[in-house]
Amino acid sequence: MSATAGNAILQATGVSVRLGGRPIVSDACLALRVNELTALVGPNGAGKTTLVRALAGLLPSEGRIVIGGRDLASLPPRERAQRIAYLPQGNVFHWPLPVADVVALGRHPHADPFSRVSGDDRAAVARALALTGTEGFADRPVTTLSGGERARVALARALATQAPVLLADEPTVSLDPRHQLVVMGLLRDAARAGGAVFAVVHDLTLAARFADRVVVMDQGRIVADATPAEALSTERIAAVFGVETMAVSIGGVSVPVAWREI
Amino acid sequence: MNSNARTGSDLRLVAALAAIVVALAVVSLMSGAANLTPRQALAGLFNGQGAEGIIVREIRLPRTLLAVLIGATFGLAGAALQGLLRNPLAEPALFGAPQAASVGAAGMIAYGLAGATSFAVPLAGIAGALLSVGGLVAIAGRRASLTVTLLAGLAFASFAGAGTALILNLAPTPYAALEIAFWLLGSLEDRSFDHLMIAVPFFIASWILLGLNARSYRALTLGEDAAASLGVDLNRIRMMVVIGVALGVGAAVAVAGSIGFIGLVAPHLVRRWVGSDPARVCLPAALMGAALLTAADIAVRLIPANPNATSIELKLGVVTALIGVPFFLAMIFRERRLLEGSAS
Repeated sequence: MSATAGNAILQATGVSVRLGGRPIVSDACLALRVNELTALVGPNGAGKTTLVRALAGLLPSEGRIVIGGRDLASLPPRERAQRIAYLPQGNVFHWPLPVADVVALGRHPHADPFSRVSGDDRAAVARALALTGTEGFADRPVTTLSGGERARVALARALATQAPVLLADEPTVSLDPRHQLVVMGLLRDAARAGGAVFAVVHDLTLAARFADRVVVMDQGRIVADATPAEALSTERIAAVFGVETMAVSIGGVSVPVAWREI
Repeated sequence: MNSNARTGSDLRLVAALAAIVVALAVVSLMSGAANLTPRQALAGLFNGQGAEGIIVREIRLPRTLLAVLIGATFGLAGAALQGLLRNPLAEPALFGAPQAASVGAAGMIAYGLAGATSFAVPLAGIAGALLSVGGLVAIAGRRASLTVTLLAGLAFASFAGAGTALILNLAPTPYAALEIAFWLLGSLEDRSFDHLMIAVPFFIASWILLGLNARSYRALTLGEDAAASLGVDLNRIRMMVVIGVALGVGAAVAVAGSIGFIGLVAPHLVRRWVGSDPARVCLPAALMGAALLTAADIAVRLIPANPNATSIELKLGVVTALIGVPFFLAMIFRERRLLEGSAS
């Protein structure tokens, strides 16, 4: 756990989700803390996306989710949206909006139906563009960008909300190695800047390299919630993922490399 | 960024389109069996004296106002549906909304359940449109894929078509059948202020429901999950758009018969100026729809349908479909790569 870690801003207790009568997430308990990047790992079908959507308030769930002292279920949609930014899988953009307009959508939770764009909104958008290095193509239609550029724009949109909690579902999927590092670095920066960041990550190496804490999910249950070294031990990875890993030490950080199936 | 410059250019576009609508409305007041000069038309409109006064105020003014209001309603309904479904091919007529409204309204008229200027006619039209648009949005569901949306729309349109065929089939007299058939083709001929009055309250309600959600259409560009995470209440907005489209289309069909494709063409035409932002498209699309339908209604009066019988006009719905369908095909052709992608 990082030395700068603060108090829990989001606390989930006994969260369970059933979809179509089937339990997808069972009795999940976890806390997201200020200044921490928490990675959520687990095999396909473990229930990671469902857990993240439940934490974002997008799915009805049993149990209790408390954000900043308020019960998530009791928050009106707009107030919930001001507190939790959510980055779904896939970076979908249906219309060729200019990048700056897409990022400005992150300010939607702060706008009244009839209010104009405020100075705060402009500053937040400019900051998100600068942080993600997307200001260079702010005026380009978002649909003309490459996958790596789109991922940064999607992240900028989520950052522009300036919510205390950021939930990201597989933000590095289908990105080249450099952009994987860029995006993970941005998520860690967002945590260091005072946020609580929770990201679904498939790449165990990236999780070990960037996360302050790793939560491991298997068959709908949280089976580990600890430091990367502890959560991603060779034995646990073998048990959860069914793969044998090599632990490689790079610059003092021990990272697991998936080697062969067991 | 450059939002101030953009607001300025949006305002200029809205002003220009509004000026075009007003100019077309004046031309519409001048057009018809009795040739009036602009001066005569305006004199008739403002002082209401003599034959010009009666022609302009009693015959042409309600017709012109209906063209403007119905065109605006279809333009806005198209823009709103396209925003909700994130799909530039969405249009009330493709989903069978006017056809379904026709079943309701034509049934009312054919069986003499209500007079043509009774509130029961738009209410029946609205009920029909509500069923088709509501069913479509329910079936298209969360993902709203292009293929599912268009297939479901096709099914609703065909079903509604069968419904109108049934009403024609069972029409009490051949005259009634002919009357319904003509009415179905869509026309603003001989519409009075009574027609205007039964439709206007529904139009206004429709504009409010559809216009209030403009910002949410923009958020939906990120997909439903992301929009919901930004505070958009998806169930509420779906309900508002379904009811808004049904109110507008149902009332329009009840007074003017089936008029299609304005909702497809109008938003598309204004995108070249305002871009793809579904929120910024709404108002210009409404004005463009008003201009298009007013122009089409002038055209049906200027093009003689039958030189031997000058009183018979081309039907308005025929003209909008003749122009709209090739336009739609051209759009499908241009978007075919996108369509192929979403079919997989």
